[in-house]
Amino acid sequence: MTSAPVAITGMGCICAAGINLNDTMAALFSGCRAPAPPVSFTCSHLINYPVFEVQGFTPPPDLLRTCSLGLHAAREALADAGLDREFLDSIRVGVSVGTTVGSAMSNETFCRELRFGQQPDMTMLERIQRSNPAAVIAREFGFNGPCQTIVNACSSGTDAVGLAASWIRSGICDVALAGGADELGRITYIGFIALQITDDSPCKPFDLNRKGLNLGEAGAMMVLESEQVRAMRNKRARSFLLGYGSACDAYHLTAPKPDGAGLKSAIAEALACSNTDPGAVAFVNAHGTGTPDNDRVETQVLAELLPGVPFLSTKGYTGHTLGAAGAIEAVFTAACLERGEIPASIGFSTADPALRGNPLTRNTTFSGTIALSESLAFGGNNSVVILGKGGVT
Amino acid sequence: MQIAVQGIGVVGCFGAGVAKMRQALLTGAVSPAAFDLPGCGTPLAISAFRADTSSLADFVPLKALRRIDNFSRLGLLGAYLALQDAGVPAAEKQERLGVVIASGYGATGSTFAFLDSFINDGDICASPTYFANSVHNSAAAYISIMLGATGPSSTVSQFHHSVPSALQTACLWLAEGRVDRVLFGAIEELSELIGYAWHRQRGRADIPEMTPLLTGAESAIPGEGAAFLLLTRREESQGGYCLLDRVITGRHLKPGFLPSPLDLLVLGADGRIEKGGDYAKLAKKATVACFTSLYGSMPGSPAFDIAIAALMLKEGKTFDSPGSAVCDFPATVATGGESLKGCCVSCLSLSDDDGFGLINLSKG
Repeated sequence: MTSAPVAITGMGCICAAGINLNDTMAALFSGCRAPAPPVSFTCSHLINYPVFEVQGFTPPPDLLRTCSLGLHAAREALADAGLDREFLDSIRVGVSVGTTVGSAMSNETFCRELRFGQQPDMTMLERIQRSNPAAVIAREFGFNGPCQTIVNACSSGTDAVGLAASWIRSGICDVALAGGADELGRITYIGFIALQITDDSPCKPFDLNRKGLNLGEAGAMMVLESEQVRAMRNKRARSFLLGYGSACDAYHLTAPKPDGAGLKSAIAEALACSNTDPGAVAFVNAHGTGTPDNDRVETQVLAELLPGVPFLSTKGYTGHTLGAAGAIEAVFTAACLERGEIPASIGFSTADPALRGNPLTRNTTFSGTIALSESLAFGGNNSVVILGKGGVT
Repeated sequence: MQIAVQGIGVVGCFGAGVAKMRQALLTGAVSPAAFDLPGCGTPLAISAFRADTSSLADFVPLKALRRIDNFSRLGLLGAYLALQDAGVPAAEKQERLGVVIASGYGATGSTFAFLDSFINDGDICASPTYFANSVHNSAAAYISIMLGATGPSSTVSQFHHSVPSALQTACLWLAEGRVDRVLFGAIEELSELIGYAWHRQRGRADIPEMTPLLTGAESAIPGEGAAFLLLTRREESQGGYCLLDRVITGRHLKPGFLPSPLDLLVLGADGRIEKGGDYAKLAKKATVACFTSLYGSMPGSPAFDIAIAALMLKEGKTFDSPGSAVCDFPATVATGGESLKGCCVSCLSLSDDDGFGLINLSKG
């Protein structure tokens, strides 16, 4: 079934590379990155695994940091779309947010006190109960449309954007705010180290010497808008969401299927529903975590389905922002389409002969109008969005 | 587009499977039991509706379940039961099967166990297995792996809004033709963490039964379980239970929201004092039923409501609402065994932040 394009009229993001989209894109094209040992928490591991923390961002204490990152990006996206409160109150607005920690009932202090019989203060859990990311954003802006928090691990953000497009197409809402948000914390940090997929140096996606990922934190949001509302506002689209596909490997809880079957299905679905010829894809913003398995599977699939199409990973600039990753990478993809230029895939220097392709090593201009952003996740989830260059129609 | 409910898989305090749920509906014989919380440092027990997953061994060799936690076992059992109920062999290739899971709290048992692993033994001893199982979509992953379901998979976690929100996604996938069938299910696990939070926030360990249709009184008893539906497009349905006409979600439900004609409104009222008045206002003058006393208060309970509504539509008659002898709602409570005069049943659930979910079902 072919899907109609859905206009993206506003975007916003916050991550270690910048506190808004302009700053972040400038950082990406400058080739700068600054992973460092965590500042906001400590850990007794002998190795200080580098992370990408957002500096100079102090959220209010009543909500999880995840929600504040999401709200920050949402405010930027709504302002970018030129949507004011009065207008938003007159239409049906949905919120779709991907996260991994935003709705998890986990607080280390609480559990530690509970375990040792200290009757922990309930305010710690009540803060989590108030902090469901999609609900918080809907509440903050008074939206009354559909509201969903998606927890599909690292593909959550991509799925949130894909779902919001479905809402717009089916008329469930007129405008949707879609994206992802995830904070960096000790629990996640310790968990990924336990899984032995964390690099003890700055991550090197697709490189011969890659050893794993660096964690990061981010919030990223897009405003998706129906054609009726856009026509009413005579608003130019910054980008279009052309297609979305997702499929499950049904293989392993934490490892991708070696033949990339799920990712292939997701790409095929996204291409088919957007009626996109693979040859029209200008570039791929890959998941590119820097783990040996992920990068091997991704390059193999890209070589088969999109041979010769340039690809990159932006995780070298942001770290792996988990539930926000798919959203922030979709935002980067749309911004690169707008700019006609792709940043170098930072961290890559030595080709791995076992991989069927190498990422871009320098900032590169292009003339195409379509790009693809993909996410692979725990649980075997694979999700893909295809974005088109913006314009009036 | 109308969606058909082809199969139901339920696991709760009443047992596992539609027959056990039906039996409980007819007899009302479900009682909460003491749930000890030994990991909370001090002796503590609360009243709770717990669920038993031992019959999962009828579907999966025990060896294959070694690393699978209680949360995912609940989901797996619900999924297998729904397929079995629909007459779909679990061994059949499931390339066009989507999986959509709703859970308010997720795998809190594994989350707590993961934290325990490094609280007790140091950061370096954190358990990778517990960490992997604590990820919210772990149950969806295990279901896909066990069934070979390679369609899309999604998990929604939004406390009491999870079920209607996730169900909307399941219906969209079918309407868009992304999949031919969806295993939709809600899973809630009553871990020590949730038990303790319940104890602290609600503070009543001595409630003998839930009286969800009585406003102004706290009577909620926590529950756990899983409720799954196998959904297809109407034109591809065979037999089954009923049609799912519409899922409406949003905030600030306004008067006049009910579809017309409507035979029965199934309320998600679950004895939580802060929600009772809201349900009472919205149910004004309607004929209502409420079944939460059979499985307890939990974010996933609207999925049980839908399962029971589907069963009522299939059988063409109502069931008694357990715990409704004490009722002060300005509504008529349906009597068990009455014929459903028309063919439309709606399930209403209210969540925090003034959210709501309204699910309209019909006999078709």
